[in-house]
Amino acid sequence: MLHKYAVLLRMKWVEMFEYRLASLVWVFGAMTQPLITMLVWMNIDREASATFILYFASLIVVERLTTAWDVWELDREIREGSFSYYIVRPFAHVHWAIAENLVYKLVFFVILAPVWLVAAIFVPALRLKLDWGQLALFVFALLIASAIRFLFSYSFGLLGFWVTKVTAIYGMLEAISLFFSGRIAPLSFLPPVIQQLSFYLPFRYMVGFPVELLTGDVHGTAGDGFLLAIFWMLCFLALTFALWKRGLKKNQAVGG
Amino acid sequence: MRRNLRIFREFFRTCLVEELEYRSEFLGNLLSSLFGIAIAILTIQIFFFQTDQLGGWPYADVLVLLGIFNTLQGLIDFALKPNMSRLLQNIRKGTLDYVLTKPVDSMFFVSFRHLVFWRLVDVLLGLGLVAYGLWVKRYVPTLSDLLIFLVTLFASLVLIYALWMLLMTTAFWVIKIDDLSFVFNSFFETTRFPIGTYRGWLRIVLTYVLPAALITSTPASALLGNWSVGATLITVVVAGIFLWLSRLFWRYALRSYTSASS
Repeated sequence: MLHKYAVLLRMKWVEMFEYRLASLVWVFGAMTQPLITMLVWMNIDREASATFILYFASLIVVERLTTAWDVWELDREIREGSFSYYIVRPFAHVHWAIAENLVYKLVFFVILAPVWLVAAIFVPALRLKLDWGQLALFVFALLIASAIRFLFSYSFGLLGFWVTKVTAIYGMLEAISLFFSGRIAPLSFLPPVIQQLSFYLPFRYMVGFPVELLTGDVHGTAGDGFLLAIFWMLCFLALTFALWKRGLKKNQAVGG
Repeated sequence: MRRNLRIFREFFRTCLVEELEYRSEFLGNLLSSLFGIAIAILTIQIFFFQTDQLGGWPYADVLVLLGIFNTLQGLIDFALKPNMSRLLQNIRKGTLDYVLTKPVDSMFFVSFRHLVFWRLVDVLLGLGLVAYGLWVKRYVPTLSDLLIFLVTLFASLVLIYALWMLLMTTAFWVIKIDDLSFVFNSFFETTRFPIGTYRGWLRIVLTYVLPAALITSTPASALLGNWSVGATLITVVVAGIFLWLSRLFWRYALRSYTSASS
């Protein structure tokens, strides 16, 4: 199993280098919106500028490291019928997706980490004041976050067996999550209703929670956060399994 | 010019016929447009939960600005964006030859051949939001406000077109990327908020180098009655200069185009 995974990872690695320009676009193209949001907040509250710089820089990094695109891939594969190739392979489709996610996120990290370090020389706000324990908690939350986002995206993609246009619905949920995931502002800047909803909805645990741990400004207690994060991860895991089983039966290959 | 208008009408007709084939998509597209503008308004409300002005603009004014942003975005998605990927493909495969041999202006042809009609819904929604913003402010634009607004809006459209073409023309050298429009989007996103939101060098760049300030802020101020003849003239002149530059760049790029194969 481990050996097979190593091969898979190497394949995806090579594949990624084919599209290295597109990968760079992926890293830097996604930065504009958070940066503009940051500037707007800095304009609203000048005294808190340093807080916003740290928050949105963390957001950009966490966003890239947790992002999942599987719903688009699955939707296309199921619609065009290339999904069938995966069924006959001795390795379930999900492993290919996981390998791809690992490779891309590693690359994102390798690009973003030095950028952060260099930026921290010039921008004091970016110097982290975390001890090792807090850093470990952040990494743990980050792993759960990317797992939740991956499973969320993947299970949505599996819905493609029943519904066309899953990507449209997914896009709408992504847009709604803007308010609940902490993308638009640190949780404490939002109206109380949204704060409460964010606490229970899964979106905060996909992005906002790790960001809060990294910036050292956790809303509520970290323990509650981890409990809910793990709860949502298990929910989506169960959902993915259920959809996979039913979906395979439903699958009708397209094409000749 | 007259001839180009006639040709544009023909593009319009063929694309409309094409789109009417997919009528059932319309409802879904309408919903997604409505949804998009709702999210944009909510975003503004989140900001105004913490403040009572953005870059010196009160809530109602920002709504007018957002309406103009939505209108322009709709027009970009209607006429410019659908052509981007096709031009890149034409250059890569060498099929741009067929465009160049046609007896039409090539720059005109590659930028307007394909239109996506349902995006006009965004234009209507944007204009609706402008009207709503004016209603919230209880301000009725005078005739001269409206006139200056139309002039500056037209200048914004010319400016957007010119900047878009400048970017698109780089495709002659950067053929590896499928879609360059994200570069434009990154820039265009900055016009969602009043120019006063930005500070320092970024503000200078967005005012003098890449004139984002002119695109939404100027027409919005005009409609709200804050215009001056001087600023309007500058907007028109800047738009003209950028259009001329993009034209020049397109010609230069064509000279270095060598087609593909053989």
